[in-house]
Amino acid sequence: MSAGKTTESLLTSRWTPYVFMAPVFLYLLLFDFIPLVKEFYLSFTSTSLLTPSVNKWVGLDNYRELFSNRDFLHSLWITAVYTIACVVLAIGAGLGTALLLDAPFLGRAVARTLVTLPWAAPPVAVALIFTWIYNAQYGVFNYVQRSLGIETFENWLDTPDHALTAILIATIWQIFPFSSVVILAALQGVPKELRESAALDGAGAFDIFRAVVWPTIRPTVMLLALFITIWSLRRFDLIWLLTQGGPIGATNTLVIDLYRRAFVYRDLGAGASVGMVGLCIAFAITLVHHRLSSRYELKGR
Amino acid sequence: MPGLPLPIRLSAVLLLLAVAVFPFYWMFVTSLTPSSELFASTPRFWPTWSETGVYADAFRKIPVATWLLNSLIVAAGTTVLSIAISLFPAYSLSRFRFKGKGIMGLSLFATQMLPEAMLVVPLYALFGQFNMLNTLTALILANTAFTVPVVVWILKGAIDGVPEEIEEAAHIDGCSQVGIVWRIVLPLIAPTLAAASVIAFFHGWNEYVFAQTLVSSESLRTASVGLAGFVGELSTPIHTVMSIAVIYAVPAIVFYMFVQKYVVSGMTAGGVKG
Repeated sequence: MSAGKTTESLLTSRWTPYVFMAPVFLYLLLFDFIPLVKEFYLSFTSTSLLTPSVNKWVGLDNYRELFSNRDFLHSLWITAVYTIACVVLAIGAGLGTALLLDAPFLGRAVARTLVTLPWAAPPVAVALIFTWIYNAQYGVFNYVQRSLGIETFENWLDTPDHALTAILIATIWQIFPFSSVVILAALQGVPKELRESAALDGAGAFDIFRAVVWPTIRPTVMLLALFITIWSLRRFDLIWLLTQGGPIGATNTLVIDLYRRAFVYRDLGAGASVGMVGLCIAFAITLVHHRLSSRYELKGR
Repeated sequence: MPGLPLPIRLSAVLLLLAVAVFPFYWMFVTSLTPSSELFASTPRFWPTWSETGVYADAFRKIPVATWLLNSLIVAAGTTVLSIAISLFPAYSLSRFRFKGKGIMGLSLFATQMLPEAMLVVPLYALFGQFNMLNTLTALILANTAFTVPVVVWILKGAIDGVPEEIEEAAHIDGCSQVGIVWRIVLPLIAPTLAAASVIAFFHGWNEYVFAQTLVSSESLRTASVGLAGFVGELSTPIHTVMSIAVIYAVPAIVFYMFVQKYVVSGMTAGGVKG
C-alpha cells in the first residue's frame, strides 16, 4: 500500500507530465534522434557499407561533391517536380472526390468506402500491379492507348519522357483517397445555412465554393498540403520498385538517390549527405508553411 | 458538387469508382487468367473461374504462408507496442501544460520527415549492437518509431474531446492519475484507439524497407519483401505472382472496409484537423 502511495504522489506532482511523456521521449531518442545524429556525422565521413565502423573524416567533401554533380542537381529537380505534382494532383483529385461524395445520393456510403480502398493497398502490391498494367506488349495501359488509335509499344516506365508521369499516376492513385477523406471531413464543418442562403440569393456553385466552402476548409487543405509534401519527399517503395529511379535518372528522387548511393554504390557518407539535404528541404518547407499559416490566422482575426 | 445535374454527377461517381477499383480488379483477373492468354494482344477482361488452382499452387510452391505469418507478427507487434508507448504521452500532451511541450510536439512532427531509407544504416548498427539483427523484433521496434508520432497525435485528439469534469469526479473519489487514464479515459476513447491500432497495423503489414534490410534469413521474410522479389523476375508466371499479391493485399483491404468508419473518424478527430 505504501509503495502505491509513493508512486501516486510522484505521479500527481509537477513531474507527472514528464513521467507520462517518458515512453515516447525515450523511444524517439533511441530510434529516431540518435540514428539521425549518427547519419549527420556519417555525412562528413567517407564510409563504406562493407566496413561501416571505419569512418574517415572528410569534412564537407561529400556536400561539395553533391552540388558540383549534375546528376544530383537533376535529382533535386525531379524531386521538386514529383513533390509539387503530388501535392497539386492529390489535393485536386481529393477535393473533386470530396465535393462529389459530399452531396447525398443513393449508395453514397458504399461509394465513400470503395474510393478509399487504394489508400489501404500495400505499396509493394501497387508497384507490382502497375508494373503489369504498364507492360509494353501485354499491359492494359498500352492496350487502351492502342484502342484509342495511339500506336504504342513502349513501356512508359522505360521511357525517360514518360516514366515520371507513370510513377505519378500510380502515386496519385494510391494517395488521393487520403486527401479526399480528410477534405470530406472538413466539408462537414461548412455551415449549411450559409450555403443555402447563398444559393437562395442566386449565387452560382463556384461562387458558393469560393465564398462559403473554401474559407472553412482552407486550414485543413493547407495542412494536408504540408503532409503530402513531406510524405512525397520521403516516398521510397513505390518508386524504387517501379523504376529504381531510372531510366537515366528520370525518376531519381532524393530518397532513391540516397538509397542507391548507400546500398548500391556502398557509399554511406554520400548517402547520408543526400539524406541531410532532403531533411533541410523538408524543414525549410515546414517553416515556410508555418509562417504562411500563422499569417493567414492573423488576417482571419 | 450540387451545382451539376444528377446524371453527370452519378457518371462522375461511377468513373471515379472504376478508377479506384480497377487495379484491384486487374490484379484479381490476371491471377485467374490462363498462361496462354496472358500474352494475348487483347487482354482478357474477365476472370477464368477454372483457374483457381493457381492459388493452391502459390501456397504449395512458394512459402506464402510463412511470409504472411511473419507479416502478421510484425503488424500485430507494431500495433501493440505503438499503443502501449503512446497512450500516456498522448494524455500528457492533451491535459498538462509543461515546459518543453512545444518542443515535444515539434519533434513528433519532425519524425514524419525522416525517410526510412535514411535511418536504415544507423538502425542496422544499433540492432547489431544488441544482437537483434535478423529478428522480427527488430522490425517491430523500427516500425514503431514511425507509427508512434501518428498514434500519439490521434490519441491526443480523442483525449482532447473527453470532458475533464469526468476525470475530476474520479480524482475526488481517490483515483490515481494512472488509474484515471486506464479506467476512465481509455474506455471513452475506445473507437479512436481502434482507429490508431488499424493505422499502426497497416504500417507494419505494408512496410518494406526495414524488412528488406534488417532481416536476411528466408524463414523471416515478410510478404512485402517476398512479393517485391518478383518485380523484374521473369521465371515465376505472372498469374502466380498476382495470386500472391491478391492474397497479400485483399485480407488487409477487406479488414480495412470493416473498420474504415472508425479509421476515418479517428483520423479526422485527432490527427489531421490541426
